[in-house]
Amino acid sequence: MSILWLSLGFGLVTASILALSSVGLSLQFGVTNYINFAYGAFLSLGMLLTWTLTRPLHLPFWLGAALTIPICGLVAVVVDRVVLEPFVRRGGNLLYLLIVTFGLSLILDNIMQAAWGVGFFRFAVGQGADLHLGPFQFTVAQLVIIGVAAAVMVGVHLLLTRTRLGKAMRAMSDNPALARVSGIDTKRVTMSTWFLSGCLAGAAGIALALNIVSFQTTSGDDLLFVVFAAVILGGIGQTYGAMLGALVIGVVTEVSAVYVGSAYKSDVAFLILVVVLLVRPQGLIPALGKA
Amino acid sequence: MPEATPVDRGTPILQLDQVVRSFGGVRAVDGCSFSIDRGSLTALIGPNGAGKSTVVNLVAGALKPDAGSIVYGGVDITGVVSHRIAGRGLIRTFQLSREFARMTVLENLVVVARGQSGESLFNALLRPRLCRREDRVLVERAIDVLDRFGLAAQRDMYAGDLSGGQKRLVELARAVMSEPELLILDEPMAGVNPALIDLLGGHIESLCRNGITVVMVEHNLEIVERICDHVVVMALGRTLATGVMSDLRSNSEVVRAYLGERLDEPTVR
Amino acid sequence: MSPILVYLATLVVYFFIYNIFGFGLNIQFGYAGILDFAFITFMAVGGYLYGAAALPHETPGSQIYYVLGLSWSFPLALLLGILGAGAVGALVGLIALKRLRSDYLAIVTLASGTLIYGVIGNFTRLFDGWEGLMGVPQPFTGALNLNANTFVLFFVLVSGVIMAILWFFANRLYRSPLGRAMRAVREDIDVAEAYGKNAFKLRMTAMVIGCIYAGIGGALTIAFITALAPAGWSTGETFVIWALLLIGGRGNNLGAVVGSFLVAVLFTEATRYLPAIGGNPNLIPDLRNIVIGVLLIVTLRFRPQGLVPEPKTNFFAVPLTSRVLRRVRHEEVVGA
Repeated sequence: MSILWLSLGFGLVTASILALSSVGLSLQFGVTNYINFAYGAFLSLGMLLTWTLTRPLHLPFWLGAALTIPICGLVAVVVDRVVLEPFVRRGGNLLYLLIVTFGLSLILDNIMQAAWGVGFFRFAVGQGADLHLGPFQFTVAQLVIIGVAAAVMVGVHLLLTRTRLGKAMRAMSDNPALARVSGIDTKRVTMSTWFLSGCLAGAAGIALALNIVSFQTTSGDDLLFVVFAAVILGGIGQTYGAMLGALVIGVVTEVSAVYVGSAYKSDVAFLILVVVLLVRPQGLIPALGKA
Repeated sequence: MPEATPVDRGTPILQLDQVVRSFGGVRAVDGCSFSIDRGSLTALIGPNGAGKSTVVNLVAGALKPDAGSIVYGGVDITGVVSHRIAGRGLIRTFQLSREFARMTVLENLVVVARGQSGESLFNALLRPRLCRREDRVLVERAIDVLDRFGLAAQRDMYAGDLSGGQKRLVELARAVMSEPELLILDEPMAGVNPALIDLLGGHIESLCRNGITVVMVEHNLEIVERICDHVVVMALGRTLATGVMSDLRSNSEVVRAYLGERLDEPTVR
Repeated sequence: MSPILVYLATLVVYFFIYNIFGFGLNIQFGYAGILDFAFITFMAVGGYLYGAAALPHETPGSQIYYVLGLSWSFPLALLLGILGAGAVGALVGLIALKRLRSDYLAIVTLASGTLIYGVIGNFTRLFDGWEGLMGVPQPFTGALNLNANTFVLFFVLVSGVIMAILWFFANRLYRSPLGRAMRAVREDIDVAEAYGKNAFKLRMTAMVIGCIYAGIGGALTIAFITALAPAGWSTGETFVIWALLLIGGRGNNLGAVVGSFLVAVLFTEATRYLPAIGGNPNLIPDLRNIVIGVLLIVTLRFRPQGLVPEPKTNFFAVPLTSRVLRRVRHEEVVGA
């Protein structure tokens, strides 16, 4: 079996994890218009909570994961209300919000490190048997990751196009001032967006932990700028762009790992990030009319 | 501020030729051509969405045109970056007051003076006396300008703490301080009270008398008619007509596109 | 010599070095508005290059690897550290400062920091990887016949003089037309460009100067404590510098000094000797980082200007001609 096909398969798995995480980041960016540097901490929170619920507390894995995801969402809402919203309300300089989320990432990382310690963790469920699908080879866990990510992407698409909440989110993303005067409850939409962003981060964290098997409190942050690369490649704040960016980054990093070694996967992502910023900063799908 | 210098009135200082710029498939500026005479005070008018602000951004180098050419002072400046264009004496203001909030009013003026040798790292760190000598000249000039705009008392306030009207005046004073050859004002009177409109109008007229060519994007046709000697009318990204206000009133196309609906409620935005 | 005196002298050296970091970040953020989330990386570049240049050639078979090994003296090795930190800063700036959006800038600095962290950790041949450089010779000890204690006292002098010089030039830069133009870019980059300021060049200048300050601080650090490893310059360390600048007061070098005293010296030292809680040696550092983070956010929320706010420029320190001066005085009397 060709190593290329194998790495292409890995690429799909990585792309699925990236899609979950970058859509969560991108939705929030679109609605609130600032980047959340503490996003990696939410990925880590997803892994660690699931670990606690399923290992020391012995819940079945699916139940632990199902409980973890909304908890991550709630934590994101609380963080937004308590820490970030006061700065948003005061208006003024975007720089300070970025510093605050950067500080938040440090606080959350250290809280998790204090609570869970510095060691390595792994879930009770393994990767499952190897399955051959045509030229590809996946473990059961990897197939589940791909399936869940695909389902979530369809779900996000339906949410954005079919529901009032989704339409309100898109309206706020396009023109916040107009959205406010046209009667959209921006507070509720912002809270829902943070909830959704937290949930997606939690899910992405669980998927990441399943895929890398052994993880620690900083594993979420290790992925953070690969997620940034996907989001910027897709065009910042563009949900569908983020999906596309995730696919490209996921496949390119895994396939290139065949040639340059797997230790440099994140360096490849960084390289793509740099090239995109220099050549096409508006991303693959530029925001319409935002000039 | 130099005394009124003899200018070659009548020769063009700025020429746009078939300038095009689109955003995601929408042609905001679609083959716009016009020419501005040296020493004139020209209004750029047109309904919302006509592409006026985009034209300002294209001329000032904040955006790059997709096609067409922009010639300023006989030099092609199409696609040149904004700080270079400003360096050639083409200065623009912004639609909303955008003062340097955490700098004093005086500093807001001093900082925009062009050609300060203290902006080189070497001079800044190793030749403080040269910097002070230059600063002294600039501070005195800035105080003069502020006096003229009635802002002497606000000199040492943070610009961010001024009232909306005062910020408008600072904007104009700052533009004067940079000694432009061509000054483009993007809606200098948007959202200010009638008394201040008159005041700003007077200042703009006197700038022009002192030899600065002025182009202003403006919605208030009353003031345009009062102070501007030329008008460029834009609609749907193109130049619809150019000339003097009274001529344009008889141009049925212009009336239909713009004046007819706007003249009745000239100041309301 | 009393151990208390040596301990206090050590604290003073740390205080001086953190001042230098504070000035450097202030030039980048306080003057030019650059969000540099990888500041500590440039400290590391300066530190490693200093260390590798000051160390003797690596011993074959020692399992300790590093480049250079030139046994250079303090000034030469310091110069190399300065050049290296400035060059890496310019490289990062070249990518980050092209884009005007501040969040892109922050992402690129953070990503560059992570990348360099990984490269230095993984490429053992550079600076001995995750182990880091050790046994860097303390400068001046041979020439001045210093022992371990007198070296500390002497280094107070060395770092103090360097810190004072850097403070002086940072203040001079702030007041200069160059610093003024940087602040205009900080306030509104589009408007600054529209008035002919080359924002890229101005921010690049601030970036490189800030990185040079970081590199000098890094060189002093490794010269003083003789070792530097990746664990000593994680992202959390960058955050300590951000916290000290913002709590002290951005835009004001005195604020950086106050902040570095409160955050980096008083708070960090006061918590250093707390007993480990519940047998977890990491708990105290974790809690310390949490408290620093919370302090920073609370400061930004309730006192965004910091403890020592940025001063208003007073141009009347500049001698004016009698004509203008008379008028200014007259206005003051009349109360214009």
